[in-house]
Amino acid sequence: MEPKTKAVQTFDYKTNVWVDWCPGCGDYGILTALQKALSDLQLKPWEVAIVSGIGCSGKTPHFIYANGIHTLHGRAIPFATGIKLANPDLTVIVDGGDGDLLGIGADHFVALGRRNLDITVIIHDNQVYGLTKGQASPTLPSGVKTKALPKPNLQDAVNPIALALASGYTFVARGYAMDVQHLTWLIKEAIKHPGSAVIDVLQPCVTYNDVYTTQWYRQHVYKLEESGNWDPIVRDPSERDEKLAKALIKAREWGERVPIGIFYKDETRPTLEDKIKTRIPSYRSRPPARTAIDVDGKPIITSKDLRTIFSRYLVGVKPRPNNKQNREVNT
Amino acid sequence: MSTSLEEARIIVGGPQGSGLETAAQVLVSAYAKLGYRVYSTREYFSNIKGRHSYINIRVSSKKQPSAPREEPNIIAAIDAETVLTHFVDATKGTIIVYDKATEKTSIDKIPSMENELKQRVQSLLTKYGYPATVEGAIQYASEVLGAEPLPLNYNELLAKLAEKTGISRYLARRYLNSIPISIIALATGLDIEELREGFERRFQGRKAIIENNVELARIVYEYGEKLGIANKFRLKNPENPPAEYFVVSGNDSVAMGKVVGGLRVQTYYPITPAADESFMLEAHEDLDSYKEGFGGIIVFQTEDEIAAISSAIGAALTGARAATATSGPGFDLMVEALGWAGMNEVPVVITYYQRGGPSTGLPTRGGQQDLFSALFSGHGEFPRIILASGDHEEAFYDAIKALNWAERYQLPVIHLLDKFLANSIITMTPPNLERVNIDRGQLLDKGGPNYKRFDKSKGPISPRAVVGADETVSWYTGDEHDEYGHISEDPENRLKMHEARMKKLEIADKEIPVEERAKLYSYGSDFLLVGWGSVKGAALEALEVLAKEGLKGSFLQIRVFEPFPRDYVARILNSYPRNKIIAIEANYTSMAAKVITMNTGFIIDRFVLKWTGRPIYVGELVNAVKNILEGRSRKEVLKYGA
Repeated sequence: MEPKTKAVQTFDYKTNVWVDWCPGCGDYGILTALQKALSDLQLKPWEVAIVSGIGCSGKTPHFIYANGIHTLHGRAIPFATGIKLANPDLTVIVDGGDGDLLGIGADHFVALGRRNLDITVIIHDNQVYGLTKGQASPTLPSGVKTKALPKPNLQDAVNPIALALASGYTFVARGYAMDVQHLTWLIKEAIKHPGSAVIDVLQPCVTYNDVYTTQWYRQHVYKLEESGNWDPIVRDPSERDEKLAKALIKAREWGERVPIGIFYKDETRPTLEDKIKTRIPSYRSRPPARTAIDVDGKPIITSKDLRTIFSRYLVGVKPRPNNKQNREVNT
Repeated sequence: MSTSLEEARIIVGGPQGSGLETAAQVLVSAYAKLGYRVYSTREYFSNIKGRHSYINIRVSSKKQPSAPREEPNIIAAIDAETVLTHFVDATKGTIIVYDKATEKTSIDKIPSMENELKQRVQSLLTKYGYPATVEGAIQYASEVLGAEPLPLNYNELLAKLAEKTGISRYLARRYLNSIPISIIALATGLDIEELREGFERRFQGRKAIIENNVELARIVYEYGEKLGIANKFRLKNPENPPAEYFVVSGNDSVAMGKVVGGLRVQTYYPITPAADESFMLEAHEDLDSYKEGFGGIIVFQTEDEIAAISSAIGAALTGARAATATSGPGFDLMVEALGWAGMNEVPVVITYYQRGGPSTGLPTRGGQQDLFSALFSGHGEFPRIILASGDHEEAFYDAIKALNWAERYQLPVIHLLDKFLANSIITMTPPNLERVNIDRGQLLDKGGPNYKRFDKSKGPISPRAVVGADETVSWYTGDEHDEYGHISEDPENRLKMHEARMKKLEIADKEIPVEERAKLYSYGSDFLLVGWGSVKGAALEALEVLAKEGLKGSFLQIRVFEPFPRDYVARILNSYPRNKIIAIEANYTSMAAKVITMNTGFIIDRFVLKWTGRPIYVGELVNAVKNILEGRSRKEVLKYGA
């Protein structure tokens, strides 16, 4: 039911829970940008669900005045998937660390991309596991020795942008935690995008990552939107391959110059919700979270309905006539 | 001339993929159509095509059978392996139907047969001086066991089908499974038109296939009548048949229960024997297409079991009734999220089909080895309800109960079943939904400003406003939390929140009637059998057999393991001498007996156990119980069944 008056209202997305991140942490930038984005989009707090995993980033939902679901290590995406499937009216945002989403939760990360379900994923990418004291995350390049590591990292880094593109995300972007204004814009674009969206957010870990610091990022980060004729948008399915290829090449850029901004955006691919609707036409008008299952405590499915729904399994008994005990045979 | 039987027992075997499932469906629906009560169970390897599989059918004119029994009337073999696997099951008068062309087939020419079985069969036949061939097995079965061989020329019958219908010989081979079907129908007294009903049900609307099958049946009937097979095991007319039956597997009946129970999201990752349940739900997902306003059920195949339960929990948070279905290996992966659901008081149902473990164990066989896993899995303490169904009808109602209890007590509910129940097909009188309720517990339309999801001011169960409810904001975390759902490690808060969660189980213990948690079936007080899950069927039939022999005992079925019906079970156990109490379980460690001890202090020390992965047969159970009651042993290990 539509409310009678639709007041334009900006909500305060802050809670009074003390933010216990280290001073100078990149998480502050992400939190501020996210709160600002929700507020700018004039979303009602109860229409938003922020789903996080474990670690410093996992605490984010507690600091936001919106539904907050702080889940298990690596599992934010599957929790969010269930929430979104059951109630597609909700704006669902996954907030997880690089280890959470690209290590322990990597298969879920891939699965969301190939489904193109309308969820926004924000990766807190600081290349280390902070809350367990600085181990290498899947985005830390090989050979790099951050300060907590006893020896240089042995394992190669996964490229979040390339992985997202390969998995099928239809909105792929990178932000920088200390550029709150730019990040706010990216988050808003990602939320507005129908389909799976991911933003890889570069962020310093002031305590454990002394290689990729605020100073380092400041020197290397540049914005795609400000670099000439960058056009990441797929306007027709026939453009997909070309735009994907360009985005992949751009995703490989790391070192002297590190691009942030939108790498790829494709609104031409159907979302999972669209596809579900072809099978269950009432899906959007009456999603699972909003259908009645009972009438005054009695199931809406009556004995008769059960027979109709499962008629394939129903056998009507046709007993033999009384005078026919059994077939007669001549032997 | 033979007399009419109250019951016929049939084994049909052949390679996986040779149409055995079809054979069972045709026969079961033909018998059901006439009002017979049928039980059909299936054994198969973890294999797509080629390995030995068989169906075990009981057709009764009197009572619903619910366990397999020995002494088949008919063993119908599609291939040589079936003869060599099942000839030992024959008893006096068993007809063994087989293909004459396989007579000379030697056991060592059957690559699909497992070496251990080959060796056992070889040494048995050698001992009696028979060759290890189909012919040798048939000779042993007829000369030693008293079986009646019925060799048929399958190729000739199929050639005749090709000739009469004009289909190619190659195509005619696809109808091979209708040879045993027809012989069985003929022997049990079905006429062609009655058998046709079975084909029509199975091949709805596919006229040519139905007619070809019926034609083959005519050909087989003609042969069989000449050989004197007609009415050999003719069945009495059914007593008091109902107007209709649901012909369903255990998987089907749970799925039907979930639909009635208002399930709205089912997630799963494919695993035997759970996946069929989700398949059935998906086939019926658009409930609106049956009646406007019913909505839909999202059936969602996830990337793994971790995602399956996590997504089900996510859906449950929004207020949609949500469940997942799995088996042992899948459940193991779900355990971390199970604890999260416990911590966050999320109503989610896990339908858990047990099979033979550990690890992948016996992936397509049955067992009851996961009770501890269901009961104790997960770190830390959190409340959960565990209920176990004993038959298809219970499975249906339990599926609804599980959804109700999950919401009423705001916790995960584990619904335990096993492969024996999941894969057996029975005739079930359509459930009467008059006595079914939907209990959503303390569900609020909205939380309003300052809503506390875990408000414990009025008791351990907090009024629940869901994620997405108007003007409601709530928080959840796997960490210990305050009433808002925010992290708190304060000792006083921990004391309060942990106690409140655990107390919910005490409330459930008080509220859920004991009759729903344990049930006594009694013929007398000579002895007491104790069991759970699909043991029920075999135990009840064994009681009946024993009662006829003058041993009048009872069966105590444990239906709910948490909250355990402590006082009731203790009282019953204490009313029997210890040496007259026998636990029956499909596992090695007698898990249920240990849970009973844990809850009541009562120690059961007599056991009938089976862990071959095959179901408990009535006859072997009867013998085992007698051995124990007569003091010959304290523990019987069963092993009947191929």
